[in-house]
Amino acid sequence: MRGFFISRLAQLVVTMFIVSLAVFLIVRLSGDPILVLAPDFFSQEQIEEMRRFWGFDRPLAEQYVTFITRAITGDFGTSYLAKRPAMELIIERLGYTWMLAAAAAAIGVTIAIPLGVLSALKRNSLIDLVITLLSSLGTAMPSFWLGLMLIIIFSVHLRMLPAFGALEPKAIIMPAATLGVGMAARLSRMTRSAMLEVLSQDYVRTAHSKGLKQNIVVLRHALRNALIPIVTVFGLQLGWLLGGSVVVESVFSWPGLGRLMIDSINVRDNTVVQAGLFWFALTFILINYAIDVLYILLDPRIKFE
Amino acid sequence: MKTARILIIASLVLLLGALAIVPAAAQDGMSEFVFAHGGPIRPMDAHSHWYGSTHWMLKLYYDCLIWRAADGDGYVPEAAQSWEAVNDTTWRFHLREGATFHNGEPVDAAAVKWNIDRVRHPIGDIPLYQQWAFVKEVVVVDELTVDIHTNEPHAYFEYDVSYNGCELLPPAYFEEVGQEGFNRAPVGSGPYTLAEISENDRYVFEAWDDYHSGRPEVDRVIYQVIPEPSAQVAALLAGQVDMMTGVPVPDRATLEGADGISLLSESANLMHHLYARVDTESGAFPETFPDYQPATLDHNVRMAITHALDRHLLAEVHGAAQGRLARVCSYYPEGFADKYADADVVADWYNPDMAREYLAAAGYAEGEGPTLYFDTDAVSRGGSAKEVSEVAAAMLEDVGFTVDLTVRDSSAFSVEVSRAGNNRDLMHIALGCGPALLPLFYGCDWSSVNYSICNEEWDAVADAIQVTIDMDERLSLWEQWWQHYIDTAQTITLYEVTNVMALNTGEFDFTPRKDGWMTFRGLKLADM
Repeated sequence: MRGFFISRLAQLVVTMFIVSLAVFLIVRLSGDPILVLAPDFFSQEQIEEMRRFWGFDRPLAEQYVTFITRAITGDFGTSYLAKRPAMELIIERLGYTWMLAAAAAAIGVTIAIPLGVLSALKRNSLIDLVITLLSSLGTAMPSFWLGLMLIIIFSVHLRMLPAFGALEPKAIIMPAATLGVGMAARLSRMTRSAMLEVLSQDYVRTAHSKGLKQNIVVLRHALRNALIPIVTVFGLQLGWLLGGSVVVESVFSWPGLGRLMIDSINVRDNTVVQAGLFWFALTFILINYAIDVLYILLDPRIKFE
Repeated sequence: MKTARILIIASLVLLLGALAIVPAAAQDGMSEFVFAHGGPIRPMDAHSHWYGSTHWMLKLYYDCLIWRAADGDGYVPEAAQSWEAVNDTTWRFHLREGATFHNGEPVDAAAVKWNIDRVRHPIGDIPLYQQWAFVKEVVVVDELTVDIHTNEPHAYFEYDVSYNGCELLPPAYFEEVGQEGFNRAPVGSGPYTLAEISENDRYVFEAWDDYHSGRPEVDRVIYQVIPEPSAQVAALLAGQVDMMTGVPVPDRATLEGADGISLLSESANLMHHLYARVDTESGAFPETFPDYQPATLDHNVRMAITHALDRHLLAEVHGAAQGRLARVCSYYPEGFADKYADADVVADWYNPDMAREYLAAAGYAEGEGPTLYFDTDAVSRGGSAKEVSEVAAAMLEDVGFTVDLTVRDSSAFSVEVSRAGNNRDLMHIALGCGPALLPLFYGCDWSSVNYSICNEEWDAVADAIQVTIDMDERLSLWEQWWQHYIDTAQTITLYEVTNVMALNTGEFDFTPRKDGWMTFRGLKLADM
């Protein structure tokens, strides 16, 4: 087990180094932030002065060395816009994004697993058809549109939920539902197909022939064995939730990392973009490692290697 | 079974946990006005940036010495109770006795000197100091009297000392906490104190009991960042915000029909123009297009462009604008509304036959005008740049040009074209419309990334404007200046944008400011 964690830690370090290089280069290739920051009427001299101040006149390699040396200590530099440390801004927002992702994942799992199981059990029935239709709808609906529809229904017409922000507990319901519906749709499809595969296995037939009750066969014997692919997709969907939150946070003015990233990308606030992408990457990698550990807990045949 | 159950229970716990963690909104009996700001909002250190929509908010929090009157007519006292010109180059300000910052630090002559000295020197990356270069020296006369000496007579002195960077910050506190600390926990001296700050998200201001000119009528003003206009509309309809600006055209009828909501409109202090390339040296142009000779170098081609455009129709396409010929908003005397904003004059300027004559004079056969590479931002400040540019391109093609229109998203347009100096022939641009700095932008000393113009006669008029204090005399200079502007046709003005706002008039009474600033010092509760 120790070897497993050491090798994963080494992988993490290498991956993060590659991520840092990719992030640094992509951000630089996307254009000169000074040209976005400078007011329209600035002269060439004023623009050059700004470029010198932020160090963009220095060679790219020198800029990267400075970036990576500081990043190792958690210092991603000062935000061009907020004039505060980029990492401080990220940390302020990170909790909101995690909270939103957790709530969305909870909604997604709560809807997806029962529906997926039911759909598999009632294969080719009207119920299966309805669930399949709903899943397709959930997958196809753009979160931007769904979010606005929810606001119109629950905020404008019913006046039940706040249209924006994170000022009261119920404010999380609509953004989480918007994100969670997409996740539920994809996860329920995966649950259905994994369950169908497992339900046709010999050991399930054996369990039935032993006279076990249907719900015990389904939940104890079938679902448990179907969980590996479901957990894999769940892990990937968690990563998708972080990405999807970028749009949903903008629609609902949720003060999370996604909205900070959108604002920062629009104005080429590179220090914040770099720090944010770094966190997204780190979170995604850690989720994947957690999923690996979960595999082992779910299936004793899988060993720490 | 057990695992699935655990997974579902854990999910529910997570959901409930998330619901419980989010802070609850304060509920009290205070009057509360929520303004939907499109964001982003920049730092609270008012001296460190130009961004207008952040300064709207900062004006709630900071006093300046004086400020532009809401109706656009002159200036009103703030930290200075009165002021006068001692001579052509010295202005004296008399400060209010006993006035303090929110932390109790005195707003005295030394504080004023500290602030102006700070803003007229480089601070970080934004060289705001160039706007303050007219100041030669700030002299403390006594505790409540301060003199500002200018290098030469400065025609727009009052305008400039009440513009961005005029906000007074508490020197002792600022020096104690530094810029970063100040941005986290700012201190001002305006009518509202800051109760809560969530960076670039939500700013809650509360009326200050000790404000020298009396406590504001509305107890609490909140700037809430809501980036999506459609979400702003929904929040307004839901009664969760009280005002939004830049109401999208399709939503106007809905909002107008809603109970307690009214639409207001006022100049957005923003104008849309086309920039024509008049040189091949400025910006990145020589590297990007080393062998390209823009057709717009020819004055006749530029005149053909300006006469080919039906500004009224373009303004209609924009959705909330009025056709204009000059680059100063119509409410300023320098804008000569009767001459350059008059609907008939603007309509007459559109003359496709004349445009064809200019093209012929430039050596092009009828219907065989040059190709114009035309760049535009998809949205631009004030919106609709793409649609307007498409219609403008059709108008230009109608008189014989071939137009190659490229539409980019806002940040790509900034980085690749407008601020990089890659305007090839024409580009669509949105700019502010104040008169004070304008003559400098076309002077021989000014090198913009997209044009460089040096017409000595025009330059001399610009210099004279800057030092002519007498308004009548200055306006006659402006008339000469505009003639050069129109004749040069480098900046081809299209229209002045109108800001359409939606307000909860059931609860609040607000008269939009002439300068387009969404600041709410004068906000009142509606008569019930």
